Amino acid sequence: MSTAVLARPSAGERARSAAVAAVPYVLAVLAAFAIVAVLIALLGHDPAKAFRAVLTNSFRTPTGMVQTLQKWVPLTLLALAFAIPLAAGRFNIGGEGQLILGATGSVAVGITLSDLPMVVLLPLSILAGVAAGAFWAGISAWLMERFRVNEILSTVLLNFVSFEILDYVASVVWSDPGAGGAVTLPIGEGAVLPTLGRPPMHVGVLLVVVLAAVAAVLARRSVAGFELGAVGLNERAARLHGIRTGRVAVLSMVVAGAIGGLAGAIEVMGVHQRAIEGMQSNFLLLGIIIGLIARGSLTAVPFVAFGIAVLEVGAGSMQRVSGAPVEIVLILEGLILLFILMSDVVMTRRRRSRAKAAS
Amino acid sequence: MEFIALTITAMVPFLFVAQGTMLSGRAGIFNVAQEGLMLLGAAVGYLVSLAVGSNTVGIVVAGLAGAVFGAVLAWATTYLRMDQFVVGLALFFLAGGTASLLYRVVIGNDEPPRIKPLPDVLLGQDLLVYLAIALSIGLWWWLYRTDAGMRLRSVGENPKAADSLGIDVVRTRMVAGTVGAALMAVGGAYLPMVFSGVYADGIVAGRGWLAIALAFFGGWRPQLILLGSAFFAAMDVLAQRAQVLGIGVPHQFVSMLPYVATLLVMVVAFRWALVPQFLGKNYDRESRIVG
Repeated sequence: MSTAVLARPSAGERARSAAVAAVPYVLAVLAAFAIVAVLIALLGHDPAKAFRAVLTNSFRTPTGMVQTLQKWVPLTLLALAFAIPLAAGRFNIGGEGQLILGATGSVAVGITLSDLPMVVLLPLSILAGVAAGAFWAGISAWLMERFRVNEILSTVLLNFVSFEILDYVASVVWSDPGAGGAVTLPIGEGAVLPTLGRPPMHVGVLLVVVLAAVAAVLARRSVAGFELGAVGLNERAARLHGIRTGRVAVLSMVVAGAIGGLAGAIEVMGVHQRAIEGMQSNFLLLGIIIGLIARGSLTAVPFVAFGIAVLEVGAGSMQRVSGAPVEIVLILEGLILLFILMSDVVMTRRRRSRAKAAS
Repeated sequence: MEFIALTITAMVPFLFVAQGTMLSGRAGIFNVAQEGLMLLGAAVGYLVSLAVGSNTVGIVVAGLAGAVFGAVLAWATTYLRMDQFVVGLALFFLAGGTASLLYRVVIGNDEPPRIKPLPDVLLGQDLLVYLAIALSIGLWWWLYRTDAGMRLRSVGENPKAADSLGIDVVRTRMVAGTVGAALMAVGGAYLPMVFSGVYADGIVAGRGWLAIALAFFGGWRPQLILLGSAFFAAMDVLAQRAQVLGIGVPHQFVSMLPYVATLLVMVVAFRWALVPQFLGKNYDRESRIVG
């Protein structure tokens, strides 16, 4: 540890350097939009109309905003579930399995104990979801640590197992005979998350805001956050300096699983009031892309997730208004990620050539 | 007999994609865009076959489309040294988006016309079945019995040493990455031609991710990937069989069998499940850090 005391840069300086750092991001996003605009025009639609529809849909009506926030919740959680192990150099591709197990745990409590009062049932349902998700990721973590089974392999395989578990629970154990399809019975009233405002928005959003803030602070300021990053940057060096790297990696997976499980619990308790086959939607992929666009920064994840949620919710309205197909949004997201990566390469080259010119 | 035939058909797409993953991976390029590349191969293969009326042309064009994405991945990770995993996922999105978009633009929301299934050539199996098995054996022979194959493996194990012996690391990775991705798209093109006759956005259904798992399962060796894919496909067919016959166990638990069995085999087999040393790592010839 160095004992030199560095002067903290003033707030103005910090803001300026942050603004400079943001320039390549803005350019990358603009470039992605420009290419997609050309594509939309080639398909014979009006790009200006399409973009206006996709970007304003969330802000024009309260319903649009609620839809966006409702999408933002699982996206943020699954992005965190991907980004936290990523910081330790581990790849959690099991977010959807963890979400499904969380949903299963949550409905199990919400249905079997449906008579309990809300004070007991609500936290119990959330905890059951969190524990089930953590358990599911824990299997992969244990196989990774004990048997060196690659975590990509195990998380992917367990996703497929989880689909069957949900199918079993939703069409055999607690099947709703009137629903037609793999859908469970509704959970007890006490397990439904309270709502705020009009149109109603479940309070899970507040929970996620708090969780995202805590995660961001812990990643930057806590010993655990430091160890996590150290393992990811150089595992051997971290081990030599006395960090128990295996334990950090396992914990990062288990925490990720708990967060994925929370996403499942909130989807059940706030959105569907039951578990439905296919409720995992495409949250896993979007969570991965959000984690990558945020470049693993837990602080950036909620903001990126909001942007992606706006695009996803706006896609349908874009197709209705301008006729441009919803698939355009997938391409837009891929291009944004690719160009942000490219901007990294360009910045590194510029820095190198500037350093060369200076010496 | 029918069981074997079903197993072989189920195995073919996995073989193409897992061998493509293995080929790229042995040169050090870890492609994770399988799911998107298969979707692209399925869409391109379907649309071209429909337009031209020839499945062969459809397969070739699908392979070429995959090759373009593979070349971009290889270029971005060698010349630009961008993170392999991240670029792979970005390409996954682009390939998947392109596939859906192509289909939507050409077919729209109408009832899609079916394409002709691949004709049987021998013993009631189509040509791609034999190609897939020949490819697996050929890759084994090429990687372990020829000089060029050994060079490719050396690039994935220790590019610095390979470079010092005059092997062109960047070119090897470009070729392996491109050919590997082409194979993945061919594996995707097989799906509409044999199973469904039409393209749908859910047609790949996680097979791409499973192929990555099978590459690890086979220890990144072509001959073991062949066995592993056969094992997995057999379990899958067995599970479907048990579902139809009804054996007193809920069918969902039977359907879990292939995945659970694969995991269990990995637990027992972690000793031989080797991974190329430089899998997913970029090579910087100017770097002073070794490994």
